[in-house]
Amino acid sequence: MAIGTLAPPLGVPAGAERTTERSRTWRKFARNPAAIAGALILFMVVGAAVFAPWIAPHEPARQSLIRRFTPPVWAEAGKTAHILGTDQVGRDILSRIIHGARISLMVGIAAVAVSMTVGVTLGLLSGFLQGRVDTVIMTVVDVTLSFPPLLLALAFVAALGPSVTTIIVVLGLTGWERYTRVVRAEVLALREKDFMEAARAMGASSARMVLRHVLPNTFSSIIVMSTLQVAQAILQEAALSFLGVGTGSAYPTWGQMISLGRDFVSVAWWLPTFPGLAILLTVLAINLVGDRLRDALDPRVG
Amino acid sequence: MLTLLIRRVVRLVVVLVGVSLVTFAILQVSGDPVALMMPEAPEADRAVLRQNMGFNDPLAVQFVRFVGNIARGDFGQSFFHRKPALPLVLERMPTTMLLTALAMGLSLGLALPVGILSAVRRNSLFDHAATFVVFLGTSMPVFWTGIMLILLFAVQLRVLPVSGWESWAALILPAFTLATFSTPLLLRIVRSSMLEVINLDYVRTARAKGVSEWFVICRHALINAALPLVTVAGLQFGLLLGGAIVTETVFAVPGLGRLVVGAIRQLDFPIVQAGVFVLALIVVLVNFAVDMLYVYLNPQIRVR
Amino acid sequence: MKRWALLAIVLTLAALAALPGVAQAQAKDTLTVALVSHAPTLDPHMHFERVGILVNINMFDSLLHRNPKLEFEPSLATSWKALTDTQWEFKIRKGVKFHNGETLTPEDVKYSFDRVIDQTKKSPQYGNIRAIKEVRVVNAETVHIITDKPFPLLLERLVFFPIVPKKHVETVGDQAFGATSPVGTGPWKFVEWKRDQLIRLEAFDQHWRGKPAFKTLIFRAVPEVATMVAEIKTGGVDLIREVSPDIIPELKTHPLAYVSSTPILRVHQVELDMRVPPFDKKAVRQAANYAIDKQTIIQKLMAGLGRQVATVVQPLAFGFDADIKPYPFDQKKAKELLAQAGFPNGVDVTLHSSSVANRPQFEALCEMLTEVGIRATPKMWDPGPAWNKFSQSEGKGTHGIYGTWGNYSVFDADAVLHPLYHSEPGGWYGKWYTRVEGLDKLIDEARSTVDQPRRKRTYTQIQQMIREEAPSVFLWTQYDTLAISKKVQYAARPDEWLWLFDAKPAAR
Repeated sequence: MAIGTLAPPLGVPAGAERTTERSRTWRKFARNPAAIAGALILFMVVGAAVFAPWIAPHEPARQSLIRRFTPPVWAEAGKTAHILGTDQVGRDILSRIIHGARISLMVGIAAVAVSMTVGVTLGLLSGFLQGRVDTVIMTVVDVTLSFPPLLLALAFVAALGPSVTTIIVVLGLTGWERYTRVVRAEVLALREKDFMEAARAMGASSARMVLRHVLPNTFSSIIVMSTLQVAQAILQEAALSFLGVGTGSAYPTWGQMISLGRDFVSVAWWLPTFPGLAILLTVLAINLVGDRLRDALDPRVG
Repeated sequence: MLTLLIRRVVRLVVVLVGVSLVTFAILQVSGDPVALMMPEAPEADRAVLRQNMGFNDPLAVQFVRFVGNIARGDFGQSFFHRKPALPLVLERMPTTMLLTALAMGLSLGLALPVGILSAVRRNSLFDHAATFVVFLGTSMPVFWTGIMLILLFAVQLRVLPVSGWESWAALILPAFTLATFSTPLLLRIVRSSMLEVINLDYVRTARAKGVSEWFVICRHALINAALPLVTVAGLQFGLLLGGAIVTETVFAVPGLGRLVVGAIRQLDFPIVQAGVFVLALIVVLVNFAVDMLYVYLNPQIRVR
Repeated sequence: MKRWALLAIVLTLAALAALPGVAQAQAKDTLTVALVSHAPTLDPHMHFERVGILVNINMFDSLLHRNPKLEFEPSLATSWKALTDTQWEFKIRKGVKFHNGETLTPEDVKYSFDRVIDQTKKSPQYGNIRAIKEVRVVNAETVHIITDKPFPLLLERLVFFPIVPKKHVETVGDQAFGATSPVGTGPWKFVEWKRDQLIRLEAFDQHWRGKPAFKTLIFRAVPEVATMVAEIKTGGVDLIREVSPDIIPELKTHPLAYVSSTPILRVHQVELDMRVPPFDKKAVRQAANYAIDKQTIIQKLMAGLGRQVATVVQPLAFGFDADIKPYPFDQKKAKELLAQAGFPNGVDVTLHSSSVANRPQFEALCEMLTEVGIRATPKMWDPGPAWNKFSQSEGKGTHGIYGTWGNYSVFDADAVLHPLYHSEPGGWYGKWYTRVEGLDKLIDEARSTVDQPRRKRTYTQIQQMIREEAPSVFLWTQYDTLAISKKVQYAARPDEWLWLFDAKPAAR
């Protein structure tokens, strides 16, 4: 994982260094067409999520028993009113996908936020306090890593019942350990630096050191990791839906749409395929962007 | 070296205790298994059963009893199957292991040649296409990939059986489905490790000496990729186990994942505990083995 | 290098250990059925799962049998009669052999009942035959069954009450009996059980009805619907059940398969929580009933394979009164009633369901309720411990729960009325959600006599009462559809049984 450059020694204005860094990163990123494509896709997805109620051609929950299983517009029985067809109760697939962007992203990002908060906090605690606290936290990390994450999630949701909150919390609790590791490593590395001693001698508090040194250095890694984790959260939520423990609401995530539609794949292939494509493109885009971001932020790779 | 070993073993034990604690805790908040076992019985009957099974004892007592039993290999009797839980779990383990191992093997088998070729023909069409195709695999939910593969190979082309675990042919689709999950990362590692060595001096020298180019490339690629591959192998294994649960359901494979998922639904405590414990144990052991392998392969650490 | 070779050998050995069996060719005399799962045990008295029952009936016989027209037929009992209100006499068939060669005697019959009545054995089927007080062996061919009060459902319950061999079970023990050596008198005998994979049965030559047409019967466990459909389309299995109406069109015209549908007992309804507003008011409950366009849902979502019902009592069940008509679809009336009840601007409710297969119907009816002003939010649950806790043991399913009920194949109104509406603890939903005055008393009255005409009159009374009081939104009964390979001749049964003795290879 690219850690990024170390913070400059005291005395050099940090602001100037960072600006040059940023533009260099941007230029490296912009050179790659795949990354641009990925970014565009993500832009569209986020746009769909934000503007869903205005862009969606229909109400996503609006049923029409007469119109059920309408195929996409280019097929024989297709209708222009429903470009991607309708589902088993006549709801417009395109509208559901647009609204699904909102929920899928929300679940993904919220889960990652939970993960990041828990992970970074524990990493800081572990690195700064060391000793017993460190050992305990690292053991917890090991324990978490030994669980197949899906099983853990399944057990929780089966126990607590379906709800968006439960899913978010559960997804958030399976993935925090990588933040902990990175942050902890950074804190430990910093401790070894002389200037930290000097800073402390001058009365700088731990909080200040965290803000000025630890976080900026781990920033790029955290960004990359969280981006990739959003993709993972979306996929894991799909797996949970498949195993029957989705959010239970009438506003489905993409994963739920695939899960609900998979039984009909032989008579109405468009039901699971389009949400599948949506996940595919989004996750692909995230992976491409995340990959390039990582390369761009890593000073080693040209 | 010995201290390293001992420390790792201690950590193993601690992790296992931690795993049991978490499983125990989750199941405690899950609800009342007695209500599921006897849904139509009057409350008085259920209360008696609850008392007999020790559910009314304080939690700490229950947990200590639980750990003590595990140490003796006794996970209790499955509520629904009415047989000892651990043997039931162990009976299904080889199937899941086989599936995961096959997937891992297929992954490597794909990642190595494709990775090397990609590196050699860097930025060519092949390189981009390979990366793209392989990324497709990780970007789809595993169950969806499985269903699509069934539709293509079993229903449309009729070359493979749809599901089951009865013949060698039936293994292919589930293993391949799982493999699509882990191949991208391995591919990337092989490729970047290759890129690191491909233009190094000693490679050029070997080429000059007339040694077959491919031989040189492959050998050095493998050596350089070995360490990073081993590093991620343990982590990948854990992820694959998670994917195996879903794959087993789609392809009707009689493995451990399916057993545990069913047990979670039915609150069959002994099976869930035994199953999760065994899975975690395997992950921990694999990581342990991987750790040791890493130390063996990486002389720098050994010296410390 | 040697290390890798060793590793490879070890892995191969492990692989061989995990993979039993070579490819099984689809032999012509083999019938393969796909079920969604296996029951946890093959012991017919120690589970209550439909998938288990389906396997058990092909391995074990009961005292009575039902033909496809649902009439009672002699099975292990050749004749029966009621001696008094609480005592029945059964003549046991002679010369019936168990799979292990032993002959059936009345001792085995008594033993089979005793092991379920005995509460220390913890049989999940105890509740079904709680009314049986004692089973007495009278002589070498007669058995008396004594109930503690008049038990009108006795014959129904005896259709699925398998008889097991006393000596064998006592020798091998209950555990082994259910796991490795189940022995019965049925058309097929046990060969092997690979858990969660397949159950293999072989034709029993000395079955008292004669040999079945297929030599081998295999029940595979395939949890995923898409996989099951793929299997029937490729000839991997010969029979699947519970085919969704949406998939029927494509299987109907498939070159390798055909479908067979029949109405069954399973009735759908939304049980309303009468403890809290708004469904504590009769007018609102009736409004909900008028709001549902049942015909359209049946036509559009169920491919026409369903029948509207006036109450939860099914047309196939004893006690059904065809003169009581279902609520018609009348949105205007629904809105009127709603306004009358004090909700001119509508009301918000939440409805719950754990029926994954019927999700479209559930969501459609919520939509229809919303259209008349009962703004219903549908909430789907995964059927599991959280759901059971919520709906069953804690009674929190406010404002209503969508559910289906199959009576456990008992074709009698009591088998649906009592679980759904009676307030007795230990029952199903009624104790929490239903509050209809006088209903308990009538239900008890109907089940405490064996005088069938009198019972029928009481059930008419009950149906009129609940139609008026509307403790549920009454919906429909459904059909069950099987998809069968063209190589096999078999027809679906209204009791959802897979009585494969009737299955024959198709005439070429």
